[in-house]
Amino acid sequence: MLQGVGAAGRGDRPGGGSGLAARAKLFASFRGGGREVDARRAAPATLALFLAPALLLYGGFTVYPVLRTFYNSLHTIKPHNVEEFVGLANFAALLHADPVFWKAVGNTVIFTAVATVADVLGGLLLALALFSRAPLAPLLRVVWFTPVLMSYVVVGIIWVWIYDYDWGLANMILRWLHLGAFEQSWLGDPHTALWSVMATHIWKWLGFNMIIFLAALYALPSEVLGAAELDNCGWLAKLVYIIIPMLRPTILNLTVLSFIGKMMIFDLVWIMTGGGPLWSTETVSTYVYKRAFDWNTFDLGYPSAIAVLWFAIILAFVVVMTRLLRQRDRIEF
Amino acid sequence: MKIRLIPHCLAATLMATALATSVPNLAKAEDVTLTVWTHEADEDAKVAFRELAARNLEKAHPGVTVKITWYEKNPLLAALKTALPAGQGPDVLYVEPDWTEYVDAGYLEPLDDLVNWNNIEPWARQVWVHNGKTYGVPQEAYTNEIYYNKDLLKKLGVELPANAQFTQEQFLDLVKKAKAAGITPIAQGVGDRPFPGAYILGEALLRKLGKEDYRKLWTGQLSFEDPRVVDVFKWVKELVDAGAYPKNFMTLKLGESHYYFYTKPGALMLPMGSWYTGRAFVPVEKGGQPPDFPLGIMQFPAMDGGACNQCKTSAIGASFAINAASKHKKIAAEFLDAMSTPEMGKRWIETIYLQTGIKADVKQFSGPHAAYFTELMERQKGADYFIGGPRDLTQGQCKDSFAQVMNSAFPGGLLSVDEAVKMMNTACYKG
Amino acid sequence: MAPQALDWRSPLRRAPLLLFLLVYTVVSGGPFLWVAIMSVRTTPEIFASPYALPSRFHWEKFVDAWTRSNYGTYFWNSIIVVVTAVALLTIIGAMVAHCLARYRFPGDRLIRFVILSGMILPPQLLILSLFQILLEYHLYNTLSGLILVYVAGHLAMTVYILEGFFAQIPQDLFDAAKMDGYGDFEIFWRITLPIGVPALFTTVTLNFIILWNEFLYAVVLLTEDDKRTLPLGIMHFMGSHQLDVGMVATGLMIAIGPVIILYALFSDTMIKGMTAGAVR
Repeated sequence: MLQGVGAAGRGDRPGGGSGLAARAKLFASFRGGGREVDARRAAPATLALFLAPALLLYGGFTVYPVLRTFYNSLHTIKPHNVEEFVGLANFAALLHADPVFWKAVGNTVIFTAVATVADVLGGLLLALALFSRAPLAPLLRVVWFTPVLMSYVVVGIIWVWIYDYDWGLANMILRWLHLGAFEQSWLGDPHTALWSVMATHIWKWLGFNMIIFLAALYALPSEVLGAAELDNCGWLAKLVYIIIPMLRPTILNLTVLSFIGKMMIFDLVWIMTGGGPLWSTETVSTYVYKRAFDWNTFDLGYPSAIAVLWFAIILAFVVVMTRLLRQRDRIEF
Repeated sequence: MKIRLIPHCLAATLMATALATSVPNLAKAEDVTLTVWTHEADEDAKVAFRELAARNLEKAHPGVTVKITWYEKNPLLAALKTALPAGQGPDVLYVEPDWTEYVDAGYLEPLDDLVNWNNIEPWARQVWVHNGKTYGVPQEAYTNEIYYNKDLLKKLGVELPANAQFTQEQFLDLVKKAKAAGITPIAQGVGDRPFPGAYILGEALLRKLGKEDYRKLWTGQLSFEDPRVVDVFKWVKELVDAGAYPKNFMTLKLGESHYYFYTKPGALMLPMGSWYTGRAFVPVEKGGQPPDFPLGIMQFPAMDGGACNQCKTSAIGASFAINAASKHKKIAAEFLDAMSTPEMGKRWIETIYLQTGIKADVKQFSGPHAAYFTELMERQKGADYFIGGPRDLTQGQCKDSFAQVMNSAFPGGLLSVDEAVKMMNTACYKG
Repeated sequence: MAPQALDWRSPLRRAPLLLFLLVYTVVSGGPFLWVAIMSVRTTPEIFASPYALPSRFHWEKFVDAWTRSNYGTYFWNSIIVVVTAVALLTIIGAMVAHCLARYRFPGDRLIRFVILSGMILPPQLLILSLFQILLEYHLYNTLSGLILVYVAGHLAMTVYILEGFFAQIPQDLFDAAKMDGYGDFEIFWRITLPIGVPALFTTVTLNFIILWNEFLYAVVLLTEDDKRTLPLGIMHFMGSHQLDVGMVATGLMIAIGPVIILYALFSDTMIKGMTAGAVR
């Protein structure tokens, strides 16, 4: 999937060797290589047919609501569809007079940075373990993926039980290991709550990254790995000099996907802590939701402003990230 | 709680008039489906109560169908907050008094001329009066109480005073004794609710300040740095430091705190609204209280120099309102009336063991938990009620800080008195 | 292919690595196993000893959940919604992805930008305006409305995955096909889709898992009990009042079941397809 699937793909990439490209060339050679027809062009009617269903749906059920949100962010919405234009007042209040928002931004940034790195690195390591034919690999592949299959509601509830002070598994294990001194109210202490939720989130998504990496690894050209083996290359060297560079597109894609997902983290936090204790797990999305549904107000202007600002920040990050990593063609916003 | 005696004949007359006035509607009301959205899907007794009222209405009005959709609270809120602004939603909706935004937004129909108010306690109705109009029919009423385990108290060698109220020193002492005996003093948790952690603190503030200043505190007219307020915080801090709350206070959920109190591991006390019964008086296999549990009720402790130690929070919970956009307001109002007859009021008490805003005749009270209800009524004697809680009086940042600081972080032992007072003042005090 | 990156037979290297694998397997699979065990135990049993094995298997709890709690209805609603939405997503998404990956035309970048930015929209805020739109089209409180919302909401991710894959199919192949006289739709149908099977599998599996568990939209857009989907049904067990842990666990197992089966059936195909299908 993503790039990874086709790590073989990309005919233009050296080493991205591909039977497909070869087959295509073969195919093309039968044709005598003439280029009278440009396969990159299509009649407007054809394009329209391809795009119409998606664009209609997307326009009606996504673009329109989004524009509406942008519009709302510049207004104070009063009941019965009365909208009062307030310009950038919502944004000014957000930036200057809302400590909870900044707390939420801080938490979200920490969460995103740590969890993204952990997810991508962890997924890669797990994939390597299976790739190098660990015992029972086919079984492990299924077991390791089970967390991905569970909904946030399920995962949240199970992990709240696991973190429970009295009968939770985490503390039971610590006691069993005679490490009772380290037992914690994991979700109840502002110092550990964010990290505990993060651990759960990483736990849920590691398997997903693992599968993607695994597919990418299997798609690596075996000749290269074989050559490295002949050169008596150590596995660490092989990892650093061969495997990782070749997996770069997969790594980049997973990083971006992971980043986006974590910047919008909502469900798990909402179920496990609701943003507490003392806002120590408040994220931007939970705060948006609180301002929209939990506070005694029907004003959607302010929460819309938060959403718009956050959208802009994520967008900027994604653009910068892809530029920095000099990935061509993909995720060009 | 003011559950008054109404002569039976009066009730009968009211019923008769209600029925009589509804007769002319019979013809008009053909094939109407009345939609109702309500919370408390998992409280069987309340489900049975409201479904019964619906069937009664259907019987009285052939052609009318009452369709009740049962929600959990958060999904209900999400559904209402999207449906109402769009001019949609059910004809009749569940509301609670602190949901003032629905009133302010004009989504609720004023009920003064629609509903038969003779069956409703005037004080309870008052909770729903905004700018001279009434927007909700109160159904559930409750008082804040401290439930305790009589056997454990005896085991600690402590006797409850005749007025069932400890002084603040005695209470602190009791907490320390329980802790020393390896018993969790107070089973309370804030894992899924924004208020239980503040029961002790809030009730203490009410007794210390008296009704007037207590109201001022929540409406931003009295500073949290007032010495009386700080004294109360200091006392609660002593309780917290003495280990009054369980270690898993922060994550313990409301339902779990009940189970913690009466079954495992067991605790001395559980401060709770008197809707405690909704969770406790169910079969054991559904997480209910064991049948032989020695349940007692005590008053919240008296404060030294308290302005009103006989004060007590009484509040309205579940209420019902009519959507201003409803096309069947008449029938909707009749459904509200059908839930509020004296018979239904009696039924409420006898099946749910909880106070109500409906006028009901307690003299006739019976049922397997009659002794419990008698004790509850005993604790109401001489009480001076403050109607409504902090969450009914606060909004926005102040309400959020109440949930995070007074409900959770402060009783959870994460904040000093100074920090807590300062945070509350920043969020609430307008002076 | 026989990669031999690590030598599992060397005992020195093996021990810590095997330990790690074992621990991670327990950590990742344990919670599921725990819920599975709880699903056949009663709540009092669980409270008495949360981590014990079942003393007796209470299979009747599944029957109970299915019949008493309207679970059958929720289940079929979920099937209808998710299967339809995933089918639509796959077809519509593949068409767009193919179009964006293969053709250069004015506005292609804009369209890509608009669609892909859908990935970074916080859903909480779209809900309110979505609600109003559904009302206008009389789709509120209907399964079809929910399906359309799901399709629109997950189009971005689907296109992102498919386009990434389709873009890597060598252009030569298409040039050749075109010269062979294939029409645009034939190319889509006969070349892009078959070669894209692994990516399609990925989006199908992924979308299925995500939509099967979706909660936020469903709760706001469906009000009638007869139209509710499984995640809403689970919430029914998880009332905040009595904590019937045992029944919650049973409900969870019923909800997870189809996804596990789907994955067990397709995980091999998916991975093999991802790697071999296209190229080797």
